[in-house]
Amino acid sequence: MALLEISGLGVVFGGLAALTAVSLQVEAGTVCALIGPNGAGKTTLFNAVSGYVRPSSGAVRMEAQAITGLPPHAVARRGICRTFQNGGVFGSMTVLENVLTGLHQTTPSSVVGTLFGLPRDRAAEREATERARAALAPMGLAPLADRRAKELSFGQQRMVEITRALIARPRLLLLDEPAVGLSAGERDALAIALRALAADGIAVLLVEHVIDLVMAVSDRIFVLNHGELLASGPPAEIRANPAVLEAYLGAT
Amino acid sequence: MSDALASRSAPIGWMRRTGLAVLGLAVLACVPFGLNDYQQYIANLMLVYVVVAVGFNIVLGYIGQLAFANAAFFGVGAYAAAIAMGRGHLPFLVALALAALAGGCAGALISLPAQRLRAYYLAIATLAFGELLRWTYIHADALTNGSTGLAVPTAYVFAIPLATDRAKYYLFLVLTVLVLWSTANLLASRFGRTLIAVRENEPAAGSVGISPSSAKVFAFVWSGAVVGVAGAMFAVLLDRISPDSFDLSQLLLHFTIVMIGGLGSLVGSVAGAVLLTALPELLRDIPGMEEIAFSVLLILILLFLPGGLAGLIERVVPWLRDRYFLE
Repeated sequence: MALLEISGLGVVFGGLAALTAVSLQVEAGTVCALIGPNGAGKTTLFNAVSGYVRPSSGAVRMEAQAITGLPPHAVARRGICRTFQNGGVFGSMTVLENVLTGLHQTTPSSVVGTLFGLPRDRAAEREATERARAALAPMGLAPLADRRAKELSFGQQRMVEITRALIARPRLLLLDEPAVGLSAGERDALAIALRALAADGIAVLLVEHVIDLVMAVSDRIFVLNHGELLASGPPAEIRANPAVLEAYLGAT
Repeated sequence: MSDALASRSAPIGWMRRTGLAVLGLAVLACVPFGLNDYQQYIANLMLVYVVVAVGFNIVLGYIGQLAFANAAFFGVGAYAAAIAMGRGHLPFLVALALAALAGGCAGALISLPAQRLRAYYLAIATLAFGELLRWTYIHADALTNGSTGLAVPTAYVFAIPLATDRAKYYLFLVLTVLVLWSTANLLASRFGRTLIAVRENEPAAGSVGISPSSAKVFAFVWSGAVVGVAGAMFAVLLDRISPDSFDLSQLLLHFTIVMIGGLGSLVGSVAGAVLLTALPELLRDIPGMEEIAFSVLLILILLFLPGGLAGLIERVVPWLRDRYFLE
């Protein structure tokens, strides 16, 4: 049983088909990549899975439960976290506060207790802060903890977003172009981090144009073209697929 | 750079903090002994507007919704308290709780259009709500005594009558400190971060499991309840309330206090409320120039103090910095 199961997914925008009958599965503990030319429907697929776009047909199942059409926060509560292509940090919050929002669901404080500053709720808040602080170090963000997110470079903001998603302990992580704006060194670190996540049993699905990174980290690659699934398979197979070469890889 | 960072993030010790709080409260408790009756009334009004601004800022500054129902929340709280005390003969503390409840309910009501309407459209819809309520105060004679207004009987707190402005001051001081303290607690917690996340990036808020709809309901209910408390204080301060106390000029004053103080800053709300309540009184000595001086000062603050008074305070006293500014 696959962790994420997409079957016959279709999305139509004002009569225009952005996705047509896409079916794919993501297994726990694997890194999967979604590639394809611009406008192929990669981000639309992400949005349909994570609740930002309502599918017009088909079904999305997470751990065998239908999540089709749920709003984003409900999808997130099912264990799916995502990052955004054009920046999803909370700009005027500090790095630490951004990461703390990833613990929002699991911090056991109540409104009334927080209002009156009761010890139990203060302790919950303190414990969350410590956990968030500890999560910064492995991502190289510890020195930036108290800086506002908007003061950081694009690559650093991306790392904040990923840290925030990870601290929520998702079972599926959706990364929309995580390598954009990263230096070569940061890309290598990202590749290592992604493999480490898979080793922990987390499934990663990424949309990415940096093809070297995709080939290096992926267990399985899905190729989208004109809103349809053109091919899927392990990297070596995709690299040798003539249809893929023509539609996408050949262009580079 | 590291020095600047250290000074910005280093909190002052809790002993020093507690000491300052005790000292501040002691000074505030002594204030009435240096004031005449009129000045005492103005000081009380300042406290009312501090609570008003704190409540309005939750919606306007923290969750960033352009909603203008604040004078409506204020009026609902004032009328709820006045009706409970005047017609229901209930003790003040019960009337206060009812005012908070009524304000919270009005907030819940306003959070419904806020789910659908954005920016200017929400602004218009909420303005209309305020005017509708004012019309209701005028025409619901049986409860509100129409445009003549409603007399508010002397408030009793634990059998102590609050007949003088000095007595009211101590009640208001306690209420204001409680509102400030509890709101600060809430804003510094995961609940406050929820509001700011929705303001900064609504789609991204959804991705960490925050429901923007629930966050808006929460913010409006909390804001309405706080402003409802301010309304009850206002009713007690004036001894008589009438519909024209809750018109557009009241709303404009609330808006100016929050903007001048600084969006998304509690310290700013306090400073804005104090300044804008005191200023017209101080300028009274310049006959004919009052409005002009007032306007010029406001324009100067908006032009040269980004972040309002809060921005200035942060620069002069860094440790007073609020955790979240809107920049």
